[in-house]
Amino acid sequence: MTTRPLAPPGTPAQAARPRRGIDWTAPGRDRDLSWLMLAPAILVLVFTNLLPVWEALQTSFYIYDLSIPNATPVFVGLENYLRLLSDSAFLESFRTTLIFVTVAVTIELILGIVLGLMITGQSPWVGLLRVSLLLSFIMAPVAAGVLWRTLYNVSWGPLNYFIELAGFPRQEFLASTVQALGAVIAVEVWQQVPPVAFVVAAGISGVPSEIYRAAAADGANAWKTFWWITLPLLRPVIFVVLILRTMDAFKVFDIVATLTQGGPASATKLVSYHIWERGLRFLDIGYASAMSWLFLLVVFAISLVFIRALDRARAGTEGGA
Amino acid sequence: MRDVLGRIALSGVYLVVIVVMVFPVYWLVITSLKPANLAQTNPPVFFTPELSLDNYRMLWGDAAIRNNFANSLVVALGATGFSLLFGALAAYALSKSYLRYAIRRGILLWVLLIRIFPPIVVGIPYFTLLHRFALTDTRLGLMLTHVALTLPFVIWLLLGFFQDVPAELEKAAMLDGCSLLRRFGQISLPLVLPGLAVTAIFAFIISWNEYLFAAILTSFNAKTLPVAIATFIGERRLEWGTMSALGSLMLIPPAIFAFLGQQYIVRGLTFGAVKE
Repeated sequence: MTTRPLAPPGTPAQAARPRRGIDWTAPGRDRDLSWLMLAPAILVLVFTNLLPVWEALQTSFYIYDLSIPNATPVFVGLENYLRLLSDSAFLESFRTTLIFVTVAVTIELILGIVLGLMITGQSPWVGLLRVSLLLSFIMAPVAAGVLWRTLYNVSWGPLNYFIELAGFPRQEFLASTVQALGAVIAVEVWQQVPPVAFVVAAGISGVPSEIYRAAAADGANAWKTFWWITLPLLRPVIFVVLILRTMDAFKVFDIVATLTQGGPASATKLVSYHIWERGLRFLDIGYASAMSWLFLLVVFAISLVFIRALDRARAGTEGGA
Repeated sequence: MRDVLGRIALSGVYLVVIVVMVFPVYWLVITSLKPANLAQTNPPVFFTPELSLDNYRMLWGDAAIRNNFANSLVVALGATGFSLLFGALAAYALSKSYLRYAIRRGILLWVLLIRIFPPIVVGIPYFTLLHRFALTDTRLGLMLTHVALTLPFVIWLLLGFFQDVPAELEKAAMLDGCSLLRRFGQISLPLVLPGLAVTAIFAFIISWNEYLFAAILTSFNAKTLPVAIATFIGERRLEWGTMSALGSLMLIPPAIFAFLGQQYIVRGLTFGAVKE
């Protein structure tokens, strides 16, 4: 680190340090350097985000089917979008996704809060529970898909073995149009409950212990303390997880790819999988691009509503505290 | 008496949860270690003393799988390195107030929006774009798309860590005539090393487990392990033992890293929004 005498006020920094080239400590250089430091990241994000999204937007106005040899894009304006609105397969995948996201995130939040309480509780099992929660969540979703396929197997899967042991008939799980979506949701929950639990636990340990002591002095039981004190204080944290989990649940693709490939029929065909199939298996790129843009807009709209609600919740707790 | 019963019941609840969470992972590992004739039986074999490493030997003997493994490692390490380098520089610049507030806020918001993007939305254009630059089925091409995935995450996470560095240190260095770059490299960066380590762990796991982009952009040369395990499903449907071995192997690096970075996991999970 070089030390140099401080230049008297008003003297240009240059004068204090006569050196060749640019003086990076001169006033205003901090701003230039800030831009320089930001440049690589911005460049990468422009090329990997703005450019592809722009490309998708353009393609979405064309009929462009790569499965036809020597196909050239034909400009059709908004036709792809109009077709989408009456495309029953697309709308069905949307409905499936909404069910998937709503059910999975709801269960994850409820179980996550319970587990969050458990890992902040007083039990000799807490340490082991923490480690076991870490395991499922760091597993690659494709690998989880393979694994659960063996668990769900109709003829030799351990799950059906236990079900039979308990006196119930064997279940088809992934082979049944009724049960498959639930089975996929179960895997998603198994993998994604841990992050919710960890975050909720962090929120719980952030509550000052005086509050609990005061509640105990007032004679509140465990349930009342949880409902009237812990839960309201956790609201902002729960909102953050809710938003993150919802955004991520819309992205789910991997589990479906190895667990069901969207089937049986199209019972587990989430929008991401549907778009992938259309664009990269059937190579109908123009139409698939229109789908992805519509999908993006919907996900953005939903996220925006949630983020607004979070802001309000935050303002609420700060005002109340 | 009631107290004792209550404690036993509570322990029971803990045990049930632990078993539900761990059993599937145990099943994956035990399936990979069973001899082939015990892999698909009814009733299922939950434990056998005659464990064998045959499945692992088979994987190791497969040159294609070894290549997939190398690809996964190179891509994940490369993506982690690049996103950490670019992310640290950007996060530092964003944590200081030399740029106008509106500009910093705008950039951070954009980065946050990128986090919302469903990957499939960029996946399809990646396919045509990488083709145009002759980067399909290359490690570099895949690495680039993984940097796109991890960079927003790295920026937001490191931003929080840089903001935690006491401003006095910076001011002292400034009076000593250190330029912004030197203040970054010699003052702030050493102080956020733990944050850097945690961020690296997260970035590595994201890239290591990533499937969608890898499936779209690689076919043979740059194929990674997640794609390999997914192709197994399509092509070698009955080799559950080998597939489980591959799944177990894939779990090892993230398990080691996650264990090392346990304390900071919450911060990573919430994009820096919740600090433990």
